[in-house]
Amino acid sequence: MSEQEIKSAVSHFILNEFLPGEDPSALTDTTALVSTGILDSIALLKVVTFLESHFGITLEAHETGVDHLNTIADIVRLVRSKLA
Amino acid sequence: MAVAPGDSRGPIGARRLAFVAIAVQFGLITLLVQHWKLENLTFARLLQLAFIGFIVHHLLPLRFRLPFFALFSLASIFIVSVPWLGVLAGKVPLLDLLGRLVPGAALVGIGLVLIGVCHLPIPFAARILVLAAIGGSLAVLRANAQWVPALSDIWIILGSMFVFRIMVYLYDLKHRTAPFGFWRSVAYFFMVPNVCFPLFPLVDYKTFNATYYNEDWSRIYQTGVHWMYRGIFHLLLYRLVYQLAPLDVANLSSNLDVAGFMVGTYLLYLRVSGQFHLIVGLLHMFGFNLPETHHLYLLASSFTDFWRRINIYWKDFIMKLFFYPSFFALRKRGPLKAMALATLVTFFLTWLLHSWQWFWIRGSFLFTWQDISFWAILAGLVLVNALYEATTPRKRTLAASRVGLGARALTGLQTLGTFLAICALWTLWSAQSAEELQALTDALTAPSTRDLAILVGGMLTIVVSGMIWGRSGRDSSEGGATKAARAPFNFWRSVATVSVGTACLLALPALSVHGGRHVEHLVATLRGEQLNVRDMAQQRRGYYEELDEAQVNHRRWRNTAAPKGWHDGRAAILRERSDFLMSENAPSVSTILSGAPATTNPLGMRDRLYDPDKPPGTYRLVLLGASHELGTGVKDDETFENLVEDRLNRENRSATPAKYEILNLSVAASSLFQKQQRLEQVGFELKPDAVLFCIYAVDREFVVGHLAKAFRAGVEIPPGYREFLTDIARRAGIHGSLPKLVIQRRLQPFMPELIEWVFHRFKTECEARGVRPILIYRPTPTDNLDLESTGRRELLGPAAAIGLTVIDLSPAFEGIEDRRSIYLAEWDEHTNARGHRLLADTLYPQLAPLLGVGTSGIEAGAQ
Repeated sequence: MSEQEIKSAVSHFILNEFLPGEDPSALTDTTALVSTGILDSIALLKVVTFLESHFGITLEAHETGVDHLNTIADIVRLVRSKLA
Repeated sequence: MAVAPGDSRGPIGARRLAFVAIAVQFGLITLLVQHWKLENLTFARLLQLAFIGFIVHHLLPLRFRLPFFALFSLASIFIVSVPWLGVLAGKVPLLDLLGRLVPGAALVGIGLVLIGVCHLPIPFAARILVLAAIGGSLAVLRANAQWVPALSDIWIILGSMFVFRIMVYLYDLKHRTAPFGFWRSVAYFFMVPNVCFPLFPLVDYKTFNATYYNEDWSRIYQTGVHWMYRGIFHLLLYRLVYQLAPLDVANLSSNLDVAGFMVGTYLLYLRVSGQFHLIVGLLHMFGFNLPETHHLYLLASSFTDFWRRINIYWKDFIMKLFFYPSFFALRKRGPLKAMALATLVTFFLTWLLHSWQWFWIRGSFLFTWQDISFWAILAGLVLVNALYEATTPRKRTLAASRVGLGARALTGLQTLGTFLAICALWTLWSAQSAEELQALTDALTAPSTRDLAILVGGMLTIVVSGMIWGRSGRDSSEGGATKAARAPFNFWRSVATVSVGTACLLALPALSVHGGRHVEHLVATLRGEQLNVRDMAQQRRGYYEELDEAQVNHRRWRNTAAPKGWHDGRAAILRERSDFLMSENAPSVSTILSGAPATTNPLGMRDRLYDPDKPPGTYRLVLLGASHELGTGVKDDETFENLVEDRLNRENRSATPAKYEILNLSVAASSLFQKQQRLEQVGFELKPDAVLFCIYAVDREFVVGHLAKAFRAGVEIPPGYREFLTDIARRAGIHGSLPKLVIQRRLQPFMPELIEWVFHRFKTECEARGVRPILIYRPTPTDNLDLESTGRRELLGPAAAIGLTVIDLSPAFEGIEDRRSIYLAEWDEHTNARGHRLLADTLYPQLAPLLGVGTSGIEAGAQ
């Protein structure tokens, strides 16, 4: 799966699930999601569930946090490392 | 792009100016901590050294700073345990010095072993097993601290440094989420100023490393001084609440009082948030750009929001080590179910780990119904809230959007609801007994218009605060460690705020003298570690009735617990009776009473030997009092009544009477009724010529305590007292099956009647026997102006109305700058030998003329 496909799927999920009605172009690769409070701990669990089911990957508990899930770029990097 | 004042790209002059500004503020904060006597003396001393350490640390090249901080942290352990000025002056013997170094050395040694085990070249599980074995052994030693007395001081701090931090450390070590090294580890575990604080924020290892000089130093340091300043503000607010809130449940008389009790109980947490701000602010001064530990927690707008804002480090710890792993382990059951179960697991472990922390501080586990109920209810509330949030997504926006008035109003109302619920929950958690909760509900009455207006006003204030600040805080309470989450920073505005604020607080005590006696006294009270009215009352109750657990806890937190055996003498002297008197002194006892040798004579008086039959030519006085008059903590010949007796005899130039005797019939914690009854049962048998009946501001508390005990025990009320007290009980709605606190609370409104009745009886019973009745008002050694003025007025008014002679000893302690100089000890506010001398010096000049000493006209009765 290409980086672009991963990014598209993740962005689509986040926009639909958490930011309905927002302009898709406003969500960039580097938009901070966790540290700005857009994603709280409960939302992170939803993201994790989505990533695991959509990409068929398994995440670890210590990967659930601002280091790996703060931006679309972080999430794409994490997914790619799992798919590699 | 603007350049920060400390940015290396900026002009060197601006960088130096920024550093000087920061150093000045740090210096002011150091002075402030000392000036207001915040926390403990040890911390004030350590902060002074930290100030010097900060300057040295900053001037060092970056690569040397972490080792310097680690070494400074290690040194702090020895700095606080050794009186270095005495050592330098050669006043501390070598053996004593070595003895004082042992606990610190043991703490460092044990800590280094624990860190070493984390890095042993053995499988990870084996390391955990070894650590568990060592931890178990240390826990056994902690539980039996008396086995190694030399180490008894280290357990609390060892627990504070290692119990939870080692879990975080191992977690990050296992997942290699942060760099590791000797200095990093030493700095992390022994970080200054942990040695001064048993309760310390649970800093995350990864964050500790990741935030080290991760921004321009000027911003990190300025944030540090700003947070220290904020911490000081919290601590002063805590003292204000502690001193002024109606926290004594036995004295609540209205809905407003009940609301004040509940809010005040919650606000006492300001002490923890203040300490944590102070601690994390200090860590900033050494480059650790850590996130906030608390974020506007009083304005939480839901239970999950509350959990996210209060003690954020603990929440992060529990999420990282338990919540996420539990969720991942359970996620096959479905996300919602996994989240719900993980939440329950999280709260169960939070409760258990709090108990484990309690064990290291107290030496025993905390398993109380209050604690279990608190965590169970909070878990339930957070769970329901989390499920709601998971199924009903909140509105999120990418850009900062304008929030409409309707949404803000809703947040305000949610803030109010959460605040009230947490107040109720906190009251349950802090309740010392079910009886206390019962007394609290008993105090609820039909609210007056004034009460309602104040309550509604208070609630509106919370709603408006929630509308203004509640919403923005909620959205940034997570992930606050990252730069992106930080608000714009204006260095010089922060400098101005801190400088002006600290300068004002430094000047406040001096300015308060112009605000009237009460303002001056309030500021003076806030500057000390004085107990509030409730805790002083508890101390008295504890002293007389058995020290209760809560009181022991409180004083241990304040490091002012009485040493073992301090109260043993009381048990030897005081014995119970089954009648209305309820207690008396055992005869012919020799013991150590609160640190001083004390004996009782064969008549059960803490006094010299006297013949029960008054010798001819003697003028005899009997003294009725409580523990102060008894001479708790002073030697037999140091009590103020013995000093006065000696002086009367020394200065008496007359042949008749040839001698004066003051027979001390005082018994600890005697109420007005007990003293009067003792006079009638014992005192009059001794054929006194005059009676010295001592009264004090805390008589109200003794009276309600005694009567509550008597009603509950169902003792027979003596004839003469029965009709009056039965009528009082009927009107107050009191019966023996009510809890003691409820009876005490219901008796409060009848105090004026009770006082007047005793005084009247005292006068008529004495006069019927030709005995001179004299009231002596004895001030309490504690400098509590409100208690003293209210209590004094309540007693002296009726005394004057009845026409009793009163000797007021109030001037005895006036003008004493530091009242602790007349306490027995930090943990015992009975007055010491100096206090007794002051009382005697004030009593004698007022008593002698009444007795005619120094004149030829000696009062009749000395037969």
